[in-house]
Amino acid sequence: MLTSSIRSIRFAFQSFGRNFWLSLITVSMLALTLVTVNLLLVLQIVATKAVSFAEERIEVSVYFHSGTTEDRIKGASGYLQGLPQVRDVQVITAEEALARFKERHAADATILAALDEVGGSPFGPTLVIKGKSADDIPLILESLDNPQFRDDIREKDFSSYEDIVNRIRATTERVRLFGIGLAAVFLLIAILIVFNTVRIALFVHREEIAIMKLVGATNAFVRSPFLIECFLYSLLAVGIVAGIVFPVVAAIDPGLSAFFGGESVGLLVYFQKNWLPIFGIQLAALTVINMVSTTLAMRKYLKV
Amino acid sequence: MIHFKNVIKTYPPNIVGIRNVSLHIRPGEFVSIVGQSGTGKSTLAKLMFAEETATSGQIAIGGWDITRISQHDVPMLRRQIGVVFQDFKLLPRKTVFENVAFALEVSGTPNRRIKEIVPQVLKIVNLHDKGDRYPKQLSGGEQQRVVVARSLVHRPKILVADEPTGNLDAIHTHEIIDLLKKINEFGTTVVLVTHNREVVNALKKRVITVDDGQITSDVEEGRYKI
Ligand SMILES: Nc1ncnc2c1ncn2[C@@H]1O[C@H](COP(=O)(O)OP(=O)(O)OP(=O)(O)O)[C@@H](O)[C@H]1O
Ligand SMILES: [Mg+2]
Repeated sequence: MLTSSIRSIRFAFQSFGRNFWLSLITVSMLALTLVTVNLLLVLQIVATKAVSFAEERIEVSVYFHSGTTEDRIKGASGYLQGLPQVRDVQVITAEEALARFKERHAADATILAALDEVGGSPFGPTLVIKGKSADDIPLILESLDNPQFRDDIREKDFSSYEDIVNRIRATTERVRLFGIGLAAVFLLIAILIVFNTVRIALFVHREEIAIMKLVGATNAFVRSPFLIECFLYSLLAVGIVAGIVFPVVAAIDPGLSAFFGGESVGLLVYFQKNWLPIFGIQLAALTVINMVSTTLAMRKYLKV
Repeated sequence: MIHFKNVIKTYPPNIVGIRNVSLHIRPGEFVSIVGQSGTGKSTLAKLMFAEETATSGQIAIGGWDITRISQHDVPMLRRQIGVVFQDFKLLPRKTVFENVAFALEVSGTPNRRIKEIVPQVLKIVNLHDKGDRYPKQLSGGEQQRVVVARSLVHRPKILVADEPTGNLDAIHTHEIIDLLKKINEFGTTVVLVTHNREVVNALKKRVITVDDGQITSDVEEGRYKI
């Protein structure tokens, strides 16, 4: 059994070497398919990050009338914090609002002078509410109609990242569909190439195979080198793709983080943490597909 | 040893290979099968080692009914029957030793046994000093002897040789036939398909003549006649 396995593996390597260029083309095509799949994965991660990045920035600002008491503000803040859609509520007191305003208009002497004339803070307190996702904003706005503090509110305002989120989602979806289509086409080509490679390998080895069968090799033994060879193709393709994906991810990771205002997308970390399932699944899927293709070719051209 | 009972073989779509052949070859016999081209000699030989299966009738080898042999059992049969063909079918990239060893490798024989058996069979065919050569460095007769050596590695009870001398001149033909006789003397049943009148007449063994898919004569110590 062991002896036979070692011999099958040796025959497989010999076959691989003897059809070197064909093997190379086969592996390249498989690798190309996998590159597309990994690109899709990267796209998925970046898009998720982009959406959550934008969603984090969706906030509703609620301006209260000046003179609204701190108790009432606290009540409103507490109520909002209790809502499941709300991630965070920040209270900006009248004094803080004034300080911020002064800071923003530090260069404008007239405005500062006018403020001094008024004395005290002309601003009311403000609540800044962050939702958990873009979809929560309408609900949050609705909840502000609560009669407990409805009349204290002077104005509500929300930064419209919703549009951006939707646009990211739509674009991602389109790119993903295109990617899946591309991967499917590549996969089909890869399957045909594997089929053809095995066909040619069988042709190249027809005399050996004939002798093998004549001297009493089992069908399993005749087949196994070709199955091993196609596993070899899968293994090489995954190895090459892993060798491409890691440096590329490492190279684009800092740039992406910079794009998201220094927040790490975690692309490299994701690949480092999950390399085994990511490439394991790819290897398994590729191997299964190749085995099917090889078996079909053998069934057609090798009467075993 | 070899039993054919009312065996018919038709190739698709409707080509007659052999029609209604019954024969019995006993253990240790040396049988020549002669006949004109296309009369079904090779078909007869191929049925013996299940390269083809009978359309109807019954075939038994050593008491084993192989008429409806399963793909799974074919390798077991092949390890009991040595096969030699006219076209040498040696692997050009392997040495003589490796070519013979190949037959053992692919049937799962341990390396240690291979190192014992290969020199033994090379000695039988008198090529023990040429194990390192490649097929193209050998004469036609020597190449055919390597094929015979390869067919012997499993110590078969039956050796089927289909025109083993077809490509050879008189001297080399003589070598091969002597070799087959030697193997037969060791106790192996030999079935020789041939066109060669001199060979058959010199053998003075049983001769089965096939014509148009049927046995037309079967004579102990026969002569070649068509
Ligand atoms: N695989 C096949 N498919 C279809 N017909 C075949 C096949 N093999 C042989 N035949 C036909 O069966 C008949 C017998 O062929 P076979 O090879 O047994 O003849 P033979 O006696 O060995 O001839 P030769 O002396 O030329 O080798 C021939 O008519 C041949 O054309
Ligand atoms: Mg013939």
